[in-house]
Amino acid sequence: MSAVIETESLTKVYEGALKGQDVHALKGVSLTMNRGEIFAYLGPNGSGKTTTIKLLLGLIFPTSGKLRILGKTDVNAAAVKRNIGYLPEGAYYPEFLEGEEVLRFYGQLYGMGGRVLESRISEVLETVGLSHARKRLVRGYSKGMRQRIGLAQALLSDPQILILDEPTTGLDPIARKEIRDILVNLRDRGKTLFVSSHELLEIEMISNRVGILFEGELKVLGTIDELLTDRDVTLEIEHLGSDKLEQFRNAGVAVEDTVENRYLLRVPSNMSVFAALDMCRQLDARLVSVRPRRETLEELFVRVVGAAGKAKENVQ
Amino acid sequence: MTNVLAYLRGPWAIAVYTWREGMRKKTLVGFLILSLLVIFGSNFITAFLFESGGSEGPTSDVDTKLIKDICITAIAIFGILITIFISASVVPTEVENKVIYTVLSKPVRRFQYLLGKFVGVQLIVLLNLCLMGILFFFALYFKERVWPTLLLWSLLVTYFEFLIVSAFTFAISCTASSAVLPTISGLFIYITGYLSEYLKDTAERAGQTTQVLDALIGKIAYGLYLVLPNLKAFSRVEKQIVYAQPNDPVQAELIPQLILLSVVYCFAGYVLAYWIFRRREL
Repeated sequence: MSAVIETESLTKVYEGALKGQDVHALKGVSLTMNRGEIFAYLGPNGSGKTTTIKLLLGLIFPTSGKLRILGKTDVNAAAVKRNIGYLPEGAYYPEFLEGEEVLRFYGQLYGMGGRVLESRISEVLETVGLSHARKRLVRGYSKGMRQRIGLAQALLSDPQILILDEPTTGLDPIARKEIRDILVNLRDRGKTLFVSSHELLEIEMISNRVGILFEGELKVLGTIDELLTDRDVTLEIEHLGSDKLEQFRNAGVAVEDTVENRYLLRVPSNMSVFAALDMCRQLDARLVSVRPRRETLEELFVRVVGAAGKAKENVQ
Repeated sequence: MTNVLAYLRGPWAIAVYTWREGMRKKTLVGFLILSLLVIFGSNFITAFLFESGGSEGPTSDVDTKLIKDICITAIAIFGILITIFISASVVPTEVENKVIYTVLSKPVRRFQYLLGKFVGVQLIVLLNLCLMGILFFFALYFKERVWPTLLLWSLLVTYFEFLIVSAFTFAISCTASSAVLPTISGLFIYITGYLSEYLKDTAERAGQTTQVLDALIGKIAYGLYLVLPNLKAFSRVEKQIVYAQPNDPVQAELIPQLILLSVVYCFAGYVLAYWIFRRREL
């Protein structure tokens, strides 16, 4: 796979007014994003995600380190910008313009005009499912429609790279699903998507690779399959007395959840599933289901960020 | 040629967008309506004043002069307020609402972005000045029944006076994330521009004592006088044109000089804006 975005020891320090007030927003981040993948860039608030995006877009300048997009180090070069589409988080789109006027404005910034621009506007409106509202003022758009028009302006030049900051935040489940489908479709068409998000469930569904950032440091980087390796089995059982439950606990089985008479037991990876089932039989517990289970991205995120937080506390 | 047009398409799109958005700003519309009301009402104000003056009322010339005074003052005050307000706010507003991120993530260089914004500001200033000027034009026509064509020269000089203030206010706005500081700075530039002739007086009076400090102050004052725009020169020419009789010759030799001076300051203001903005972290 060929790399479309590469960063090498990328560092950004925001200088404070006084000595000692400098903010180290990014500490030597090295990343590679390949063609045709969705790269999820995760991290708690203030971890440096937006700083990275701004560096990629040339809105701010690195303190040190290297940055290469499509093989070029000048991220502000027209050839690079023409191939980047950006959807900022919570951006404002001129409310006094109609949907298609907004796109016409952004299209002209690409140097597009005439029939080429008009046909491209129709195409992207079709892609984001906003053709019916092209003549409507943005003032009358719902939140989901505004997000779609934002996505449409990012897609106008048919860019190779899409940088999306919280693309589904604040949307209803149907709109989320639709945006998600659009993103997957774009990936399948060979686009590279750099997605920063807090919606971990969705990210897990669509992304190929993940990077987790904590206080400017990249703590985890890898494919979903590489990172979510912790696999186990969950047993759902009914009618189990507290003494029997204790026997499960003693055997190393964790009680994950309890709803009335129903218990969700997590069998650790070092214990045979058959041994757990034997225990159920012996204890006369009613088995409802046996489900193989993989660690979720959310669990990985909490684990990584939690560990990083604890390590920081210990240092202090 | 096609490449040049494609290169200018971005800045022009930004200029038109800035103009369309700017003309919707409530503060600007408020200033414009107030100014138009004052100019429109100037005929009625004079009629009311002179009627209440009874039979000893002023002559028609004084009547006309009062209309001119009211209109010129209204255009000067509201015009400069509109100019400063819009020049100070276009860039900070876009930083605040993040539109600038979507614009600069497109193949638009920062100098192109600033060019588009600045041209947009000038379109707004020109349109407002035209609206006020047209009303002033008709107010005078209805009073004198003669087309006051010289007024067009006065409006042209007024615009180039505003252009200087606009360029430097715009440059300062490129450092700010809100419009407050650039607005205050714009007013300061305007006032300083009107007081710059005092610097010349200070320089001329300096050196009368043998003290070093006295001479130094004189040199600094003279240096500042050379650097700062002299807006009073514009105002003087505007008034000479407006108060001239219909057949009086226009001070033709001064107008091109003032326009050239304004264009030079405008260019300096734009370069300063770009120098500030080119490495600004957004």
